[in-house]
Amino acid sequence: MRRAITVILLLALMGGFGFGVNRLIASRKARIPTEATVYKPTATRPSVVLPGTLYLAQNGDIYRLSDGFFTDLHLSLSSGNWMQPAYVPGTQDLVAVLRAAEYSNLYLLSSQGTIIRRLSNNATTHVGAVWLNHWMFWPRFAPDGNTLYFSFDQPKDSSTYAVDFNIWSGLLNGKLANQQLSNSNPFTGGDVDPTPMANGGVMYAKYEIGSGNAYSLIAIQTKPLVRPVTLTTSAEDCGQPAPSPDGTMVAMICIGGTGLQSSKLEVASLSGNKLGPLRTLVSNCLCSGPAWAPDGSGLVYFNTADASGHFELWWIKGALSATPDSPVKVTTNLDFDAASPPSWSPLASVPVMSR
Amino acid sequence: MLLGVLIAFGFVLSGAVGALAYFMPAIVTAFQDTGHSISRSPLASLAPLTSASASASATAAATQPPVEAPPGQPFTVLLLGSDNDAKFGGTVLTQSMILARVNPKTRQVVMESIPRDLWVPLSKGGSAKIDAAYAYGGASAAVATVEEDFGIHIDHYAWIGLLGLVNLINEVGGIDVVATNPVMDDFYPADLSGKDPYAYERVAVLPGPQHMNGMQALMYVRSRHGDLRSDFGRSQRQQQVLLALRAKAKLLGIADLPDIATAMANDFSTDMSITQIASLLPIASSVQLQNVQQVILASPYTYGGTEGKEDVLLPNWNLILPETHQFFPAV
Repeated sequence: MRRAITVILLLALMGGFGFGVNRLIASRKARIPTEATVYKPTATRPSVVLPGTLYLAQNGDIYRLSDGFFTDLHLSLSSGNWMQPAYVPGTQDLVAVLRAAEYSNLYLLSSQGTIIRRLSNNATTHVGAVWLNHWMFWPRFAPDGNTLYFSFDQPKDSSTYAVDFNIWSGLLNGKLANQQLSNSNPFTGGDVDPTPMANGGVMYAKYEIGSGNAYSLIAIQTKPLVRPVTLTTSAEDCGQPAPSPDGTMVAMICIGGTGLQSSKLEVASLSGNKLGPLRTLVSNCLCSGPAWAPDGSGLVYFNTADASGHFELWWIKGALSATPDSPVKVTTNLDFDAASPPSWSPLASVPVMSR
Repeated sequence: MLLGVLIAFGFVLSGAVGALAYFMPAIVTAFQDTGHSISRSPLASLAPLTSASASASATAAATQPPVEAPPGQPFTVLLLGSDNDAKFGGTVLTQSMILARVNPKTRQVVMESIPRDLWVPLSKGGSAKIDAAYAYGGASAAVATVEEDFGIHIDHYAWIGLLGLVNLINEVGGIDVVATNPVMDDFYPADLSGKDPYAYERVAVLPGPQHMNGMQALMYVRSRHGDLRSDFGRSQRQQQVLLALRAKAKLLGIADLPDIATAMANDFSTDMSITQIASLLPIASSVQLQNVQQVILASPYTYGGTEGKEDVLLPNWNLILPETHQFFPAV
């Protein structure tokens, strides 16, 4: 009897040892963050308290970062993914993109996440005719809080395969797609990331294809549909322009010379429609979405924390100066939507509103 | 004494069984998907391959031992990517053909994309777009066609299906890619996401650095309608995604093999043995980006034309062959 118990015990131990070896090997798997393992921003605290209020997108939802705390706007994800928030100057509201599988629309939201109204209707009612849908992305407001700029895949020539973005402007309290401002180069993807300038122009990234390569140029549209002024070269391949609040500097993301496997965060002085030499703030990164603090005290952008990927928020204090501080990682274990540049409102806190 | 040895043996055996159970998916995939021999002689049959036989075709072909590069010496791999559905009557065209020359000593890699619309003589007779070579004879015919037309020797091939690529990218947690431009397509095939394999869906991959899951990455490398460069733009994006995958693969270890194998089961095949693949992994992870040279055969290497009613790319062999032989030795 005693021998039998010993044998059973030994066999159980051996089984446990085998299972242990199995689990030990499993524990050696690479710790690569996935959508399931990254945190919600609200479960984390930023390492730096930034001025004003930042709106950011992660996993199809929009978050507000104010006074060192994230707040989830709790937008419904049943119709698609929310992205590219843009605060409405002078108000507590924001406009954001709701991206469905085959079209996207702009919505006016309250700072608490209530949908105030849908601004566009880009979904076709023709079943199966998916090409009749449209995309709208990168909404951004002029300081008047009413004039809105965005990229829109109109006009579209149905006799070709071309689908390209043009820059459009419209009114929040009026016709949304009111005026086409730019004429994109066909079959390039088009014109993206518009930002209104103090002098009435619109700065954006214009895509071109030459010598077998696609690249973007920082361009300024001084008047609707005229040939734009280009500020950067094809070799520099710069996009995502972000003029500083005082209009003297532009931050941008350039991928020229990186082998298309990384990017650089660059800044350059801006005088009228002329750009000074590029100065690299961060190189060999996956930098994206630069946005200036409303008080000009620094610059945030997205970059991956390490080679395992996923985009965190970073901050460079004094980015306007010739000797800015070193970049500081603001968030940890998050995964921001790098195609949704942060929108930075000067308002420091958002009172609970009853609408 | 004997009892002690027996008990120790029992523990060793138990541990081995635990490890074997862990690696079982990788072992099964290794047996199923690797070590497929390919024919080095033209096949008699011209019947198109069906989806069911696509991945098995290489195994079924009559075989001759390949002349392989000695260990440590530079070698050439033909990377093939294709549909594996039966949408178009079962014929399977390659959507991607990339010649890769790997120098294990110098850790240098050259990737040359072969346009899928390139009009070439096929190894089995007649001329067609080069993407049809696989349809008419699987990996054997694809390898033979490239060898004959480009005048080079290919040591190995590796084929991956669309779903295999999607699953692989998802398994490594997605990849980080710098999208070169907005990739827009209103006529992207909805064959993997919908019920109707002939339906279209819209694609809009926004530009700039971003994280992509498997399906998003597939859209990025597969779409071509909205790009002025058509297949050339797609070729560049395919090479870009391969390099992004390589960056992610550097983080993986042997413990990740079973999950990877499960993800790619039935959507991957190669004539390399599992030991050859294992010997390649350290090379792949140690190659520096600046040591990867990318070649795209755009104009003036190729130019547009028509053959019958088909729009094709016609080769300028006087330029293609010297360019290719710079990196891939002529035979």
